[in-house]
This record gives sequence, C-alpha cells and structure tokens, in this order.
Amino acid sequence: MPITILPPKAFRDQPPSRSLNHDSDDVMSDATSDSEEDSDTQPGGVSLDGGATIHPRKRRSAAAASSTFTKRPKTNVTSSSVPRSAIVTPGERITTDPQWMRGHGTYLSSASLGEQAITSSLAGIVTRTNKLLSVRPLRARYTPEVGDLVVGRIVEVQAKRWRVDVGSTQLAALPLSAINLPGGILRKRTETDELQIRTFFAEGDLVVAEVQQLFQDGGAVLHTRSLKYGKLRNGVFMAVSGTGGGGGVVRSRRQVWTLESANNGGPIDIILGVNGYVWISKHVEPVVPEEAKGQTGITNIEEVVSATMYSSQNDRIEPETMREIARIRGVVTALVENGLRVDEDMVTKGYNEAVELALVSAEGPEDVYLGGERGEQLAAALTAV
Amino acid sequence: MPLDTSAYSLALLRVDGRRWNELRRIHAQIRTQAAADGSSYLEMGHTKVMCVVNGPSEPGPRRGATSGGGGGGGQSKNAEVAVNIVIAGFSSVDRKRRGRGDKHILELQSTISQALAASLHTHLFPHSTINISLHVLSQDGSLLAALINAATLACVDAGIPMTDYVAACTAGSTSTYAANDEGADPLLDMNHQEEQELPGLTVATLGDSDRVAVLVCESRVQVSRLEGMLAVGVDGCKQVREILDRVVREKGIKMIQEGTVERGVGLNDMELD
Repeated sequence: MPITILPPKAFRDQPPSRSLNHDSDDVMSDATSDSEEDSDTQPGGVSLDGGATIHPRKRRSAAAASSTFTKRPKTNVTSSSVPRSAIVTPGERITTDPQWMRGHGTYLSSASLGEQAITSSLAGIVTRTNKLLSVRPLRARYTPEVGDLVVGRIVEVQAKRWRVDVGSTQLAALPLSAINLPGGILRKRTETDELQIRTFFAEGDLVVAEVQQLFQDGGAVLHTRSLKYGKLRNGVFMAVSGTGGGGGVVRSRRQVWTLESANNGGPIDIILGVNGYVWISKHVEPVVPEEAKGQTGITNIEEVVSATMYSSQNDRIEPETMREIARIRGVVTALVENGLRVDEDMVTKGYNEAVELALVSAEGPEDVYLGGERGEQLAAALTAV
Repeated sequence: MPLDTSAYSLALLRVDGRRWNELRRIHAQIRTQAAADGSSYLEMGHTKVMCVVNGPSEPGPRRGATSGGGGGGGQSKNAEVAVNIVIAGFSSVDRKRRGRGDKHILELQSTISQALAASLHTHLFPHSTINISLHVLSQDGSLLAALINAATLACVDAGIPMTDYVAACTAGSTSTYAANDEGADPLLDMNHQEEQELPGLTVATLGDSDRVAVLVCESRVQVSRLEGMLAVGVDGCKQVREILDRVVREKGIKMIQEGTVERGVGLNDMELD
C-alpha cells in the first residue's frame, strides 16, 4: 500500500474535513516517527487479501482532522519528538523472545508456530525490571500497595470490620482489631467494642489509614494504629486521580504536612492520600487536659489524646482559615487540571503562587478563584520555575 | 422514500456519495469527562454516541442483599460488565419515547456486555463491576457498531486490561431480499436510509484478527450473499480498529509530551540486549 508522507503542520489550520470515507494508512504516524523505529511490531495497515477486496484511497485530511480537534492548542512541542512506538495499545505484540517474563498489563497470546508472544493488554508505556516486562497504563484506578497512606470513606459497617472505599477496584477492609481503641493502646478488645462498632466509625466517615496487608486478589487491609491516622474532621475532602498513572497524587517522601497559611489563616493540615483522595483541614493541636499535664509522658499521651479521636464534631473554624483551605483546594484542582503532579513541593509552591496571584487580582487577597485561565496561569508559573 | 438503486447501478455511488467499500467519517476522542474513570465520544458519520466507564469498582452494600450470600453478581470471581444505554429523544428524526424496559435497548445492552466481557480481563477484578454508560446523541445507522466502538475506547481509557480492541462496523447488500439478485454487491458501513431498505448485518471482530466477537443480522437475506457481506464487514472492522488505535496513540503521545506520563522503554531499545 503506498504511503504519502506529509508534514502534519500543513493541515493544522484547516477546518476538519467532512469527507465521508476513511482508510487506514497511517499518514500521521509516518509523519511523526522521525526514524526507522516503527518496526515489524506494528502492522501499519489492513490486510488486503481478504475475500472481498477493499481499495483504500489516500486521505490526507483523515489524520489531520483528528489532530485539529484537540482541545488545547499545540504549543512548542513537535510531534516528532516522541516516536509512535513509545506507546503500546491493547493487542499489540511486545515481544516473542522467550527470555522475557510477563508482568502486569500483559498477557501471553499464541503467535505463529506455537510461539508465545507477550502482548499488551493496556494502552500505556512498557517498563522493564530486569527480565520482567510490564505495561504501565496511561490511567487506571489506584492499586494498593503495602505501606501506602490512603484516605478513605467508610461505606459499610460489618460485625468486626468496616469496608472502606479507597478508590481501588475493591473495597478495603478495616478490622476492628486494627484501630486504636480509646483508653490506650494496651486495652483489650472486648465484645462491647464489637457492639459499639458504629461509635468509632460509621457510614460516611472519612479516615486516614495505612495499607497493612494485601490479599491475593488485590483487596487491601488497612490499619489506623498510629496517632497520625484516624477519623478526619475540620476540613474538606476532594478526590483527584491517584497513583495509577497520569498525573495526580504521586508517592513521595511526605504525604502529610502542616502548612502555615497566609492572610491569618493559621496552620492547615494537608493529607495527600496515595489513592488520590485528599484531605485539607484546619490544624488542631491535640488537647491535653490540665490534670493530665503533669504526668503526660511519651507513654501515655495516646491514652489522653484518643478520647477525642472518634469525635465527629467539628471545631470552630475561622472564616480566614476556611478561605485558605478553599485556596489550597483550588491549587490542587488547578494542578490536576493542568496535568501536573501533586506533592508537597508543588502544593506549597502553588499555594504561595496563588497568594501572590490573589494580591494582584481585582478582588484583593480574598479572591480564591483558581479555575480556568487563573489555573493555567498558576500552572505556567509552576512549570517555569 | 425509496432508495434509488438505479443510481447505484449507473455510477456505483451510494445515496451519500460513497462507494461500496467506503466507511463514513469516523471521529473519536477519549478522556472527554474528567470525573469518570474512562470516557469517549465517537462519531460514525452522523451517528454520535458518548460513553462513560466507571469501575472496576465494588458496589457498596446492596439493599435487601444478605451478607455473604453466594451467587450474586458482585460476589463472583469475575468482574461484571453492566451496560446502560440511553437513547436521547432528539437523536432520530421522529421523537420516539423509549421506556426503561424497551426490548430493543435491552438487546443492545446484553450484546455489548457479552462482547466486552469476552475481551476484557474480568478475572483480574473479582467482586467488582464495570459500569458502562452509553448515550446516543444522534442516530444515522450502524448504531450498535458505534456503541461497541465507543465502549471499547472508553474501556481502553479507563485502563482496564483487555485482549484486544473490539471494533465493529456494519455491512449490507445493494439489493433487497425480495429482488433475489444474486449479483448484488456488498456494502460497507450502512447509514440509516440504507438500513431501512436493504438487508444488513453488524459485525465486530477482536483486534486485527479474523475472530468475530459479535454478529447480528436482523433482516432477511439470502444465504449466498451472507459470505460476501461478512467478508466486507470483517475488513471494515480492521479499518475501524486502526482508526481507534490511532486515537488512543495520539492521546498517549500527547500525554508523554506534556509530561503527564514519563517515557517508558521503547520497544526497540529492548531488542538491543
């Protein structure tokens, strides 16, 4: 099949073609790949030796039409910088070499002559760890790993455990035995606790927890046996895309930190769950009762603190604090919308930038709007640094 | 309005100016809805559909369901593929009210559900459900094919592992059943007007193999014509697959350029060692 090589630029300004017919010759791909990298792994067109012959005709506007539809105007990046082979798509044969082992995102399909080919089952990028080949998807739901810090919502209360939505393919389990019971870490779990299970967490409550264990089928077991974990209050929840591919929250050194906000907002806690659930709340110092102050050591601080641990009552939040919480939320949304990663560094920088933006805005420092052009401006400022 | 078949025999052009083996314009986008796990928008000529995929995810506690009760869809070892189709009232020429239990829609739903369940690796997601929601915005023939293509794209976008694309298109024949014309040409990708008058079938294949995933024929046609129609349809599916594949690739390459996803090992780097 003859192939015309056309520079993609020439058609960019044209309106999308309304021509009715299509064929499959890859005008675009041949223009984009600047080398011989398109090898035999990709059949470039249809096979034409079927019973009924189909005569493909040159259609220059076909590929161009789809590129003119892209929402964002193409900027400095030229399409030639990324070869077509950077991406694999479902059903694409990766290799028939038996030395490789197949990992996630691949399956074995029978190639010719009883040969087994490792084939991609996802649209994504190939990664290899020694002899293991896997395909990381461009985007997917969160897959839990042991040690992940996650934010989740209780969706079901069962006899001895809670079921928690953590944005994964399955609900995670939080057993009653994996939480800190009020009254100290050494207290024995009794039947009374089982009967009062709803007093700890009820449906709809938000928790921050850690993945303790994984089941064979991918289900996760959480625990909150630390003062860092537990019920969430005094703040706002948001769900962005998590660690699964494609921007969003990334695994990093610190997922939880306290930010000293501007404009008298006071300290604000930010929890970036690895699963993409984010919690932004007013920072509350643990209250230590007067009489306990004298004997509070490192050993019994948990006893004292845990009394308020399962409260669902919000503290009083000043309007200034609420405004700054809203601003941080706007920063995270802007980061996600512009395809930037969300971590401590980016959020802190973005927040400072947002405060500056608000100063020059017509509505003064109270302006927390960061959508649309403002968000793009913010993202541009962050990527420029 | 009778189809002017005499015009076809003279100029070999169909009512909309296509030849017998030409597809209509296919335009597709993925990731159209930020909130969903996967989404797509697809046009095949004037047939326009959009698709939203949510999941795989485990449904919460269901009302009336006993805990641990076996046999429920959510408790099985494979993910359940639930398809829901909404046909907009304004989508066709005559405004037709379709209820929830419309037999035609139910059949479309179960066809798509079975076709995708066969390609998707549902065994990786026990106890969970993949919710596929399809909205028909405009109808001009080949509706089932457009729905299958849109659902496939949305599943690719959602990052659900699958054996291969399920690409679909329709094929017909140039003369009616009654004409009993042995020399009738097969037609690729029928529009609404052709679908009304001529026999046709919808075929979907798995990837660029010849494996047929869906074959639906709702009209009377001589068996002798079926083979030609099927061959044309299967070839059309391969063209459709290339178009869908290109949409996914362009999106992926754009994501790499924007730095949302870092570059992986190229296939060709791998061959070196």
